[in-house]
This record gives sequence, structure tokens and C-alpha cells, in this order.
Amino acid sequence: MRLNDRDMIRKETTFGIVNHWTLAISCILLTLSGYGFLFQIQIIGTMFCGFPAMKVIHNWLGVVFTASLVLSMVFWLKECITFDKDDIAWVKAAGGYLSHKVAIPPMHKLNTGQKLAYLGVLGMGFGIIATGFVIWLFPANQTLMIWSHFLHNLCFIGMALFIPVHVYLGAIANPGTMRIMIYGTVPVWWARKKSPKWIQEVEEGRHH
Amino acid sequence: MERKGLLISPELCIGCKACQIACKSWNLLPATKTRNNGSYENPPDLNGDNFNKIRYSEIPSETNPVRWLFVSQRCMHCDDAGCMRICPAPGALYKTADGAVAVNKNKCIGCKLCLAGCPFNVPRYGMDDKLSKCTLCADRMENGLIPMCSKTCPTGAIKYGDRNDLIGKATKAGYTKVYGQNDLGGLGALFAFKDAPKIYGYADKPEINEMVILWHKYLKPLSWIGLGGVAAASVIHYFAVGPHKAEDPNKDKEVKK
Repeated sequence: MRLNDRDMIRKETTFGIVNHWTLAISCILLTLSGYGFLFQIQIIGTMFCGFPAMKVIHNWLGVVFTASLVLSMVFWLKECITFDKDDIAWVKAAGGYLSHKVAIPPMHKLNTGQKLAYLGVLGMGFGIIATGFVIWLFPANQTLMIWSHFLHNLCFIGMALFIPVHVYLGAIANPGTMRIMIYGTVPVWWARKKSPKWIQEVEEGRHH
Repeated sequence: MERKGLLISPELCIGCKACQIACKSWNLLPATKTRNNGSYENPPDLNGDNFNKIRYSEIPSETNPVRWLFVSQRCMHCDDAGCMRICPAPGALYKTADGAVAVNKNKCIGCKLCLAGCPFNVPRYGMDDKLSKCTLCADRMENGLIPMCSKTCPTGAIKYGDRNDLIGKATKAGYTKVYGQNDLGGLGALFAFKDAPKIYGYADKPEINEMVILWHKYLKPLSWIGLGGVAAASVIHYFAVGPHKAEDPNKDKEVKK
């Protein structure tokens, strides 16, 4: 059954969208308060009702972030650990981000960059979560505290560098992508271009 | 203003603990429930209600089989203070004009990172889960009074004064090396040790944990530089390469209709 290019096709569930926003908002607030703590920025402390309150908020936002990241694995993990030879070709072509002239190999629902990005967020996310809980719950052990603090900050740098790139690519550099995070649906013609293997599977009835 | 300090001379200390009591008296600290652990050293450790403690070390020398070394243990008021480097809350730890490292409990967030930053294992937390430590009696110093421990010491084992004068005095008394003269930018609490610092329970060369230095001095700026870098890279990418536009193949047909 061939899908009509004029139709819309659902790429993300409502639950997935809500979870993505939860992850995004908690991540941004955590980053902001993290910068506040790191550089002792008074104005950020004031935005969070003072530094003592900001510590409590930062900790509990960490719990929200953790729950959201764990839930995200239900939606995205399986697809994100599935790679084939087209993924290697995608990396060789740098995803077409450096030049529009290169041919981009056909992608599944998510492209290689998105999959690697997710795995990166997962790795750094769980690094920052584990060390964050240690700093919160086991402050008496100084060796643990120093190492956790160091790794927490290392993952923080990774996130602080990576997230803006992710937002840029999703919201600006690929017109049409942002609506997935709002409506969850994309036009069939758009999906045919970006995710031909996925559309092919849907048309063959192998995917719903 | 001249940097103030304490000169602690273990050779003069008689272990009377008057300084411990005087400190409690001025800072309105309650007694600590403790137990006999086989030593006159009491309480056994610093805590949120004990900013200052006499450490009793029983270390016989070749000539003296019964040698008791008493040394006042407390915040060292480092110039380059590890606790201040690592503290995430502005104003919770601050330097007074006299060079003391003081605490503002209202600004402390109770994260306990200062424990990890301190090379002397000094910071302790009170029942309110806020940093509670010796401030060199910053409130008294502000008003021209001398720290309580020094005021009460009957033998002059804890001398208070301009830091440079104290170093001069110790040198004149025959101490070629004053502990804390140059360590960590110079300590506010100076020690006239006759023997190796180790015997008194202090490290030969106190240093802030290198992980703390590595992060706060070298890695931390990367988070700003990196953030600026990726933001700039995104802008450059947008104008140099441009977004991946996907054109609707039916757009023209629609217009023709």
C-alpha cells in the first residue's frame, strides 16, 4: 500500500513528546543552575530563590531528569542501537552537514547522527546522574566526593557542548524536524526524503 | 590592612583546654557528649560544636620516654583556601579584611564539598547541616578584640597578632622554619614546631587535592569557551552551509491546480 504524499504520518507518540519536553526542560534548568554553582553566579541563584533553594531544586530536578531519561530508553533505545552499512556511509558523508552536494544514504526512522547523539546523551546522562546522586547522598566519603565531583563536571562539559548542537540541528538546521516535538507527525513526502527505509517498511506493512 | 594570624607553639602548650572552653563560651556552642577513649584528648575530634581542639600525641623521643605533644588543631585560614575554591555558594565562605576564612551560615547550602577541598580535614557540619568552623573570631577581630582562644591561653601558646610580626617573633626565638609560612599562599595559623610536622599530626607539605585544582583551574573555563565555540560553530554552519531544506515535491502541482 503506497502512502499518499499529502498525508501526515505519526513519527512520535504523545507520551514520547511529553517525555522529550520533560527531559529538555529539566536538562536546561539543571544546566543553568549548574553554571550558577560552578561560577558562583549570583543572578542565577536569585532566579532560583537563592543558593540554598537552588541546591534543593537542582537535586530534585535531577530526579525528574533521571526518570525521564530512563523512560526515553523505552521509546528510543532499540532503534538507536541498530546500525547497518548505511550508517557507516552516513558517517563518511558527515550526514551531508558539511556540504549539500554529497549523497546521503537512505536512513531509517532516525538517522545515524540522531542515533549516536542519543547514545551520547545516554552515556553522559547516566554519568552525570550517578555522580550527582553520590554527591547528594554520600557527602561524608571525601575520596568518592572528589571523584564524583570531577566526573560530574566532566559530563557537564560534554552536555553543555553537545546540547546546543542538538538544539541547533533539530530546531534550525533541519526545517520540518521541530514539528515532531510539537505534533509528533510529519508529512509523508518529508519522511520519504529523510527516512526512506522507514516509509518503505510501513508501505510493505512490516512496520506500523 | 595587615594580615592577622595565630602563632601556635606546642612547646608552650600545657594541654589545659582553656582555649576549647573559651571558644565554646564566645561562640555559644553546647557541650559535646563524649566518652573515655583512653586519652586525655577530649573530645576525640573536631565537630560542629568544637572549632578548636588540643591534639594529644604521645610520642617518646630518645631522651624523653614520656613525651606528650599538645597542639591546637583548628581551621588554618589558608590564603589559597581549598574550601573556598570548591564552594559553590557565593558568600558562604569569605575572607575578612584581616585574612580570616569566615562562614556565613545563611548562604551555606550544606553540600559538604568543602570537606573535600580542605587539605587539613577541618570543616565540620552542625546539627543544622551548615558548615560550622573556626572563623578566627572574625566578629571579635572586626571590633578590635583578639580571638578568644588566644585571649584565654595562660601560657602564650596561642599568640595573636600581625602575621609578619609573629613570623619574626618565631624566627627570633630560634625557629628556622615556621610551619605554614609559605604553604597554600601562607597559612593564617602558624606553628612553631620543634620536630617534624608529621609528629604533630600535620602533613610536611599540605596541598589541595590535585583533582580540585585540575577542575577549577583548567577544566572549568572549558565549559564557557566550549559553549561559545559551539554557538559560534552553529552560526557559521547556518550561513556557510545552510539548513537541510526538504522541498515538497508536490508543491508546484498544487500551484498549478
